[in-house]
Amino acid sequence: MRATIKGKIAAVAASTVAILTLSACGGGSGSSAGDSPTSGEVNLIAYSGVWQDQYTAAVIEPFKAKYPNIKINYASKRSSAEMLSALQGQKNNPATDVAIMDNSVSTTGNNQGLFEKIDTTSVPNLANVPEKFRDKDGYGPVAMLDAVGLLYDTATFPKAPESWKVLWDPAYAGKINVNAPPSLLGLSLTAITSKMEGEDYTKGIDKAVARLKEMAPGVQTFAPNPDEYQNVITGQTVLGLGQNARGQFYSDQSNKKMGVTFPKEGTVYQINTINLVKDAPHSAAAKTFVDYALSAEAQTAFAKALFYAPSVSNAELPADVKNRVVPTDGSLNIVPLDVEFLSSARDKWTDTWKRQIITK
Amino acid sequence: MTLLQNKIPPATHRGIEEGVLERAAGKRNRRTYLALLIPGLLGLLVSFVFPLAYMIRMSFNKGAPDGVIIETFTLETYIQPLTDPYYWRVTLDTFQMGVTVGVLCVLVSYPVALFLARSTSKYRGLLIAVAIAPLLTSAVVRTYGWMVILGTNGLVNSSLEGMGLITEPLKLTNNMTGVTIGLVEIFMPYAILAMISGFGRLNRQLEEAAGSLGASKFKVFTRVTLPLSLPGLLTAFLLVFVLAISTFITPRLLGGGSVQVLATEIYDQTTGLLNWPFAAALSVILLVLFGVIIAVYQRLTKKIGG
Amino acid sequence: MTETKLSIKDLTKRYAAGLEPAVDRLNMEVEEGHLVALLGPSGCGKTTTLRMVAGLMDPTAGSIMVDGKEITHTPVNKRGMGMVFQSYALFPHMNVEQNVAFGLQMRQTPKSEQKKRVAAALDMVQLGHLGKRQTKELSGGQQQRIALARALVVEPTLLLLDEPLSNLDAKLRETMRSEIRSIQQRTRATTLFVTHDQDEALDMADRIAVMNGGLIEQFGSPTEVYERPRTHFVANFIGQANFLTARVGADTGAAPVGERYYKIDVDGFGQFGAVGVPGLTGSTHELVIRPHRLNVSLHPGVVGPESIAGTIERVSYTGDALAVAVRVGEKSLQAQLLTSSGDLPRAGETAYLSWVAEDAYLLPAPAKGLPE
Repeated sequence: MRATIKGKIAAVAASTVAILTLSACGGGSGSSAGDSPTSGEVNLIAYSGVWQDQYTAAVIEPFKAKYPNIKINYASKRSSAEMLSALQGQKNNPATDVAIMDNSVSTTGNNQGLFEKIDTTSVPNLANVPEKFRDKDGYGPVAMLDAVGLLYDTATFPKAPESWKVLWDPAYAGKINVNAPPSLLGLSLTAITSKMEGEDYTKGIDKAVARLKEMAPGVQTFAPNPDEYQNVITGQTVLGLGQNARGQFYSDQSNKKMGVTFPKEGTVYQINTINLVKDAPHSAAAKTFVDYALSAEAQTAFAKALFYAPSVSNAELPADVKNRVVPTDGSLNIVPLDVEFLSSARDKWTDTWKRQIITK
Repeated sequence: MTLLQNKIPPATHRGIEEGVLERAAGKRNRRTYLALLIPGLLGLLVSFVFPLAYMIRMSFNKGAPDGVIIETFTLETYIQPLTDPYYWRVTLDTFQMGVTVGVLCVLVSYPVALFLARSTSKYRGLLIAVAIAPLLTSAVVRTYGWMVILGTNGLVNSSLEGMGLITEPLKLTNNMTGVTIGLVEIFMPYAILAMISGFGRLNRQLEEAAGSLGASKFKVFTRVTLPLSLPGLLTAFLLVFVLAISTFITPRLLGGGSVQVLATEIYDQTTGLLNWPFAAALSVILLVLFGVIIAVYQRLTKKIGG
Repeated sequence: MTETKLSIKDLTKRYAAGLEPAVDRLNMEVEEGHLVALLGPSGCGKTTTLRMVAGLMDPTAGSIMVDGKEITHTPVNKRGMGMVFQSYALFPHMNVEQNVAFGLQMRQTPKSEQKKRVAAALDMVQLGHLGKRQTKELSGGQQQRIALARALVVEPTLLLLDEPLSNLDAKLRETMRSEIRSIQQRTRATTLFVTHDQDEALDMADRIAVMNGGLIEQFGSPTEVYERPRTHFVANFIGQANFLTARVGADTGAAPVGERYYKIDVDGFGQFGAVGVPGLTGSTHELVIRPHRLNVSLHPGVVGPESIAGTIERVSYTGDALAVAVRVGEKSLQAQLLTSSGDLPRAGETAYLSWVAEDAYLLPAPAKGLPE
């Protein structure tokens, strides 16, 4: 019998705490608050840091201006896995309404019955999401897209490196940061390397591992802090793995001290979906929010703010933004990393990195 | 906990005799005391016993990908790490890190603690406050400080390069060296406090007595000061050791992903791979490791305390 | 013949510039084999002096000589002295034998000799059977003896005792007093002994240095400091004393030990006889009379012409003795009687006081606005 007992335990723990402290549950939860398409509140769970800042400014604030009676409570998490963990804990008594997370994780959520299906009746803007960005079973659609990029120090590389092979160049040994799995960046690099070595990573990654082992001694850090971007900007490293979107953002922030590029061997999409939690306490208001998040207005604003590619066909981006977000028109060489496959490979690849690739 | 086991003995009714009333009053008092303990015990139950029991139970479940927990009763989560050389290496590394950090931390803290313990200056209180002031900033902040200092372009490397002592920056961070340096500094206040309180039997007059009996300064230190401060040193070592093997912030931030210890492994399993049963099993193993160390410590202190 | 063992010249200790010195130009010579008590109230500088002699503290000025050799700046471990601390300072991590052997180990005495000497030292303090005990298992008196054995086993040039009896109860203190004295006399160890207890000092010492405010007020034998105090402070600190202000009149002849008899005049009392150093005639001096040297009678004329009438203010009975306060005019005088005198006075009665001239001692320094 498969079940998440975290939910039960968390519920028991929560009620014990509640009885002991003799106080009601913290703000936002419970369905007692009024819920309608134009009033109430929405408990959103999404990424933290610069993502939260930009999404708040580009999407949430205009939404609030439009729907002054809907309050958005933003709970931020460092990773999609942490979001999933939180949602699993609330399964029997959901407190969250909407989750924006990586599609590999949201698929797991769909399979675990954590999310609700969405249709155009309650979310009209779903009509603008092309078929390829919709879930085949009708769960939360893609909200924005990005891809793994190569970060580089513009002083060391006046011209962006063209190949991932630069990571193996002895000239930059000790000046590279790579996020090891379970980070999606490390998983992506594994797949990319495998493909470069001409093997089918869905069958095995021996060649990739051998190649990555050659790179490992030259890696400064497998868990860059405070993050992969700052490492390059401060000069701790000159090359690194990173998301294109944040890379573009920090490139501007650092006065172009750092650049981000898509090498010719291809890259892996990082796709975020927007999901409606099953039995959400504020389902009506949540749908209003999801609809707004899929509007051309919100999609364009967020693309301008953090360089994520829109998932709706009616979003028009200015040229200087359009050529910095990840192309979704098929022009980019993409290494496909299937969600179902990733779910089975994540643990294995993480283990492989820890045991064989990462050196002390 | 022991109080719960000390049940009130059953009342014996042997007719009215002197002292019965008194005893009854005593029993009432005892009940009052027990009643007063209830809030604390409840708090302990909720915040310590319950989570611990939950964690131990969790460790016998089976973890599947994507955070799915298969509720069962299996030893698989224990067999897996115990039969896997990788986890033996992680455990050994954890232990080694604890010992290294403990020894270094005690070595650098000892002179400071000794000075503070023996100081008769009117500023002693202030000096102790200064010595433990770093506790006011969080370990995270201090760890970030060390990242800046030890980084490729950090203070240490740029000074050494500036002096022409090195041409290539030394790798002082994102490895065990960085973690060790960071942990030693972060745990120094704890070590100093533990030592000061553990130097109970040490006093100036004993050192003066040794001196008056012909012991040189060096002999006074080796024959009197050091033996008498040994319990304090041992307590400090144990404290730092336990803190070091259970901390994950510094190994994670300064280790750059290449320092794999039990605590970071537990963190990865919990938040990265969502394999709670496995993380719980590793936690239980860490707990057992604590238990062994504390048992050894108690044996040792008994021996030293004589 | 006696020889000078310890000689202290102008020894001064100032803890911080601008502060009153704790010890102020102290001079003292101690004879070989003598036990000298440094006696005084707390804060008088006696412990500071001892610590400077021991080498535990650096003097600000002055010098310390032992056996004619200057040791003022010799480090503590090179002085070869034995010290017993107030807290005994036994090493808690060593057993009794190890404690006693410590000094010998530091001197690298051969093992076999160490053994013999430790055993002898423990026998000397009658604790030969406790050698293997841990020090914390010993009573206060036993610890004190071990501390003494530890200090003496090295045959110290000087034995220094810092209030060694103050942590013992009253009964044990008496026993240890005579024991320390007898051990000291057997070993002939020249000893410096700090105490604030006058009985201890009078009982044990060959010489007493009465200290006050960093100075030695008087240095002399117990009888000297008791019977012939040089200052008001000494008379007041050692034993009890009645003080009267006397105008010294005619020198009436030679008294024993080079002193003179004087006719004196005390306001409200009349004229009496007293003794003092030569040459006091014409000036005002303080007169010291010990309470038990004051004769009290309920009948006039029993005592001589020098009797004064007064009223008994208070009587306090302490078993062996009877303390009586007698008011004469403005003054209240303390007297002490043995209770065997069947005729016990009661408060309110008239009493007649008298003394013999030898028991009324004029302090050598002229009185000038001294407190009563």
